[in-house]
Amino acid sequence: MVVEPRTALSLRGVRKAFGPIVAVAGVDLDIVAGEICGLIGPNGSGKSTLFDCCTGLLRPTAGRVLAGATDITGWEMARIARQERLLRSFQKAVVFRALTAEDNLVLAGQMTAFPGLAATFGCGQNTRRRVRELRDRAGVLLERVGLAHMRHAKAGEMSFGQQKLLQFASMLMPEPRTILLDEPFAGINPVLIERIVENIRAVNREQGVTFVIVEHNIDVLRDLSHRLVVLSRGSILADGDPDAVIRDPLVVEAYLAG
Amino acid sequence: MPRFTVAGQHFAGQLASGALIIACLALFPLVASSYQLSTLIISMVFLLPALGLNLILGYAGMLSLAQMGFFGVGGYTSALLAMHFGTPFWLNFSAACLVPALLAIPLAIPALRLRHTSFVMCTIAFVFILESVSKNWVGLTRGDMGLSSVPRPRIGLWSGGFIVHTTVQYYYLGLLLCVLAVAALVTIVRSPAGRYMIAIREDEVLAASIGGRTWHYRLAAFVLSAAFAGAGGSYYVHYVTVISPSVFDPTYTNTVLVVVLGGGVGTIMGPILGGVVFIALSEVLRIAPELRMVVYGLILTTSVFLFPKGIVEPLTAVLRGAIPSRARGSHGR
Ligand SMILES: Nc1ncnc2c1ncn2[C@@H]1O[C@H](COP(=O)(O)OP(=O)(O)OP(=O)(O)O)[C@@H](O)[C@H]1O
Ligand SMILES: [Mg+2]
Repeated sequence: MVVEPRTALSLRGVRKAFGPIVAVAGVDLDIVAGEICGLIGPNGSGKSTLFDCCTGLLRPTAGRVLAGATDITGWEMARIARQERLLRSFQKAVVFRALTAEDNLVLAGQMTAFPGLAATFGCGQNTRRRVRELRDRAGVLLERVGLAHMRHAKAGEMSFGQQKLLQFASMLMPEPRTILLDEPFAGINPVLIERIVENIRAVNREQGVTFVIVEHNIDVLRDLSHRLVVLSRGSILADGDPDAVIRDPLVVEAYLAG
Repeated sequence: MPRFTVAGQHFAGQLASGALIIACLALFPLVASSYQLSTLIISMVFLLPALGLNLILGYAGMLSLAQMGFFGVGGYTSALLAMHFGTPFWLNFSAACLVPALLAIPLAIPALRLRHTSFVMCTIAFVFILESVSKNWVGLTRGDMGLSSVPRPRIGLWSGGFIVHTTVQYYYLGLLLCVLAVAALVTIVRSPAGRYMIAIREDEVLAASIGGRTWHYRLAAFVLSAAFAGAGGSYYVHYVTVISPSVFDPTYTNTVLVVVLGGGVGTIMGPILGGVVFIALSEVLRIAPELRMVVYGLILTTSVFLFPKGIVEPLTAVLRGAIPSRARGSHGR
């Protein structure tokens, strides 16, 4: 008997148009739970918009989005994050600049530590204990991404690369199931890229977290991902083994044509 | 040895300085003139709505100009209860916090759909509406004439008790209310909810992406800010014993803005300092009535050039210098 692999995220005919501009033109995609899936495509091919549709920042013009078996189409972003543990990073905004590195992580962990709305207004013993636990966990994660020495530094005063590391660490705080990363390696030096790559591999292996990674650095992505999906003008052009996909003449042409 | 977090040490220091300030203020009537005390009473009247503005603007990042609208609603609520039912102060005061907070909910439903300048516009519009209601609902508010001979605060559980009437007594009542309000604000902003509010101020989309229910916390900030303003209205109305639609005048809103922005928005000490300094300043300048507002304006302008983040800025710098670097550096535990 063949057991169907569980899907972490399914897109069914997802389409997103901004007036006359069609950013995502009907995408069908199943992300298998536990895989690292690379998503590439020329600038403006709709990668970020696709993420926005999956995480509730944008509502698709048509089509449905499922997390596991749950239809999350039209859900609010916060609800998707809390209930489905589907987290994402942004291409631009990275961290809460006025807060310390540690507080950035505590914030990210609050959704697991304080699931109810009322509990977040608490100030008693219980609240303080849970916040302390979050701080301890934050310390461990900062260590893990090599930012332990920046623990009490304001995130806004950290370098761009450090902010990206911090953002990555903050997505690990709330026991994620699926993480969508939007250009995690852009503007990062090779040493830090290597560190993020190692962390992605480790989290994927140890905690079974599913990753979808949008990235223009194809070399890194080829090594890292189990599967590569190519988006061009809002549609899927190729999907499969990274090495095969990159050699695909259609893909080469799409990239050169822009 | 007990382990202290850096934040914990910092907080302990803040608690200690808070206790010191309260002690000084509590002893102040021993040396102060009645005029000085009444100036501080005015400061405290404005501090209460200022704390609310500080919460919504400084922590949740939304500029609400409706504070004095809620202040007025609190004032009318407190006055009407005392006049019609002779209720004790604690009850009037609680109602003065509750009614504006409840009123804020229906107002928030359209207002919170808006961001930035449109939200500000919407809060200005609320005050117009409230002012108009207070002028035209003559049966309740006596219209433009306003309410006069509002009873003084009666401190008692139900009937009886004692009536606050001297300046010193009003001063201590105000001090008690302000200490409670500051404690409430500190509790809110240090809670997980407060951290979400700061996150919303910093980046609302990012806050939602980590599961922050942004709408709920923006609503909470708006409602709580209204409660703080209502508290101020209650203290005010039982102090001056009159209230009329002029309470909705934008001048008072401007004063609250000066207290918060001039003092230091998004800090606990900022509005407190701003309340004392800027209100005292405007009182002292009454010696030269013709030049008063000119000088006041010039001082405000200078202050904002010197300390763009408020007059609390140099103070925190001094305090930072006084705390050994070990207690706050990046060395961790
Ligand atoms: N809010 C918006 N309003 C109008 N058009 C938009 C909006 N967001 C994206 N678009 C358009 O949708 C298309 C896809 O944009 P998107 O940001 O998804 O591309 P991308 O693949 O992430 O590109 P890049 O690699 O440069 O980040 C572009 O043509 C863009 O101009
Ligand atoms: Mg993009």
